[in-house]
Amino acid sequence: MFGNSWPLATLAAILTASAALSATAAQAHEIVGNRFFPATLAIDDPGVNDELALPTISMQKTGDTPSFKQLDVSGEFAKRITEDFGVSFAPTWSRLYAPGGPNMTGSRGFQNLETTLKYRLFKSPEHEFVLSAGLEIEWGGSGAQGVGAERFTVYTPTLYFGKGFGDLPTSLNWARPFAITGQIGYSIPGASKITSATFDSDAGDIGLDIEFNPRVLNWGATLQYSMPYLKSAVVDLGLPDFVNRLIPIVEVSLQTPVSNTATSGTVTTGTINPGIIYAGDKYQVAIEAMIPVNRQSGGNVGVIAQLHFFLDDIFPNSLGRPIFASNISSGRPAFGR
Amino acid sequence: MRIITTITFILVTAGAAFAHAHLDHADPKVGSTVAQSPKEVVLWFTEKLEPAFSLIEVRNEQGSVVNAGKAAVAGDRTQLRVPLKSLPPGTYRVIWRVLSVDTHRTQGDFTFRVGR
Repeated sequence: MFGNSWPLATLAAILTASAALSATAAQAHEIVGNRFFPATLAIDDPGVNDELALPTISMQKTGDTPSFKQLDVSGEFAKRITEDFGVSFAPTWSRLYAPGGPNMTGSRGFQNLETTLKYRLFKSPEHEFVLSAGLEIEWGGSGAQGVGAERFTVYTPTLYFGKGFGDLPTSLNWARPFAITGQIGYSIPGASKITSATFDSDAGDIGLDIEFNPRVLNWGATLQYSMPYLKSAVVDLGLPDFVNRLIPIVEVSLQTPVSNTATSGTVTTGTINPGIIYAGDKYQVAIEAMIPVNRQSGGNVGVIAQLHFFLDDIFPNSLGRPIFASNISSGRPAFGR
Repeated sequence: MRIITTITFILVTAGAAFAHAHLDHADPKVGSTVAQSPKEVVLWFTEKLEPAFSLIEVRNEQGSVVNAGKAAVAGDRTQLRVPLKSLPPGTYRVIWRVLSVDTHRTQGDFTFRVGR
């Protein structure tokens, strides 16, 4: 599947690290009542947390004509400022294989840096529901134009949600480990169009090429089945510990241009990603296939894998705490359901 | 690539780390049916617990608490147990809320049945 050897070596390193870390039980992250919402790969999860995704590696043939192979290696560092408000930074390094790149000979370099500010609006442990709002900013000019990084900044206000089905009646016990998450965002380019000069060598004419930058609806969802939830909240089937840590998942990530579409068109692009997440105490490892929804979305089935660390569990008293952390409340916890 | 490998190695080998306390297993088992009334509920967690902030309530189908005493942290501080009254046949919900020693709060619940 891969065009060169080191992505395979990196994936092997991820799996080796996973095996080394699998000594103890259970998992972490956005936790709402009984529910653990894992970090997801194609869309952002609804959680606000201290975490480090490093690396995330994907490989897929693009939907361009002609199509070319693109390798992305990215990382994301997320830090809570308060319990409910956090900021994250996500650089991505890309390699475009020939015939990609401006001269069709391939190219490599960083994409624009992405920053996300996210605030958790609401959390209901009883109903395993969480709602967050954020602003994603792709900083124009911070990346290399040779890999397609734009010169203008893009702002994407986004809503995120997660809902576990643990509050279904016990007669539907089989469905209670299911959960869905989703996001919907509206990308607003900082420049509505890009104008460039063109020269027709045959006619000797100089012209203007105008490319309109569309506003894009970024939307997606995940459906996940939590084996950790099945074991700890529904029925302990005595399955092996490895199985009890798995979360099969399907992600859908789509982009639909909705305005200023004179040159972009309005075709929705994106991928459907079936995969699996292995949740450890302090980390998770995930791998998904990337199935393009149409020809414009990709030239083949790609793959994406990620190693993700829960910094709040690794460094609970320093890097893993909100900068402005509240004290632990005293008194008897409130029960109820 | 070296930077990624180095950071990964540091995080993987962060030996003194703690984590959220999650329910590892229980007696009676999650979702199980037991023939006789159990004398107690015992929960095993994945991390050590702070006794003052770690509690269990067991409720019957009418919502009444059937604990016969206070919950107590036991063993190597990863166990939480609570004595029960004599339970007639029925479905019981175990509701737990704990604080791990690294101050992470977690909570959860599950049911078990007696005699049906």
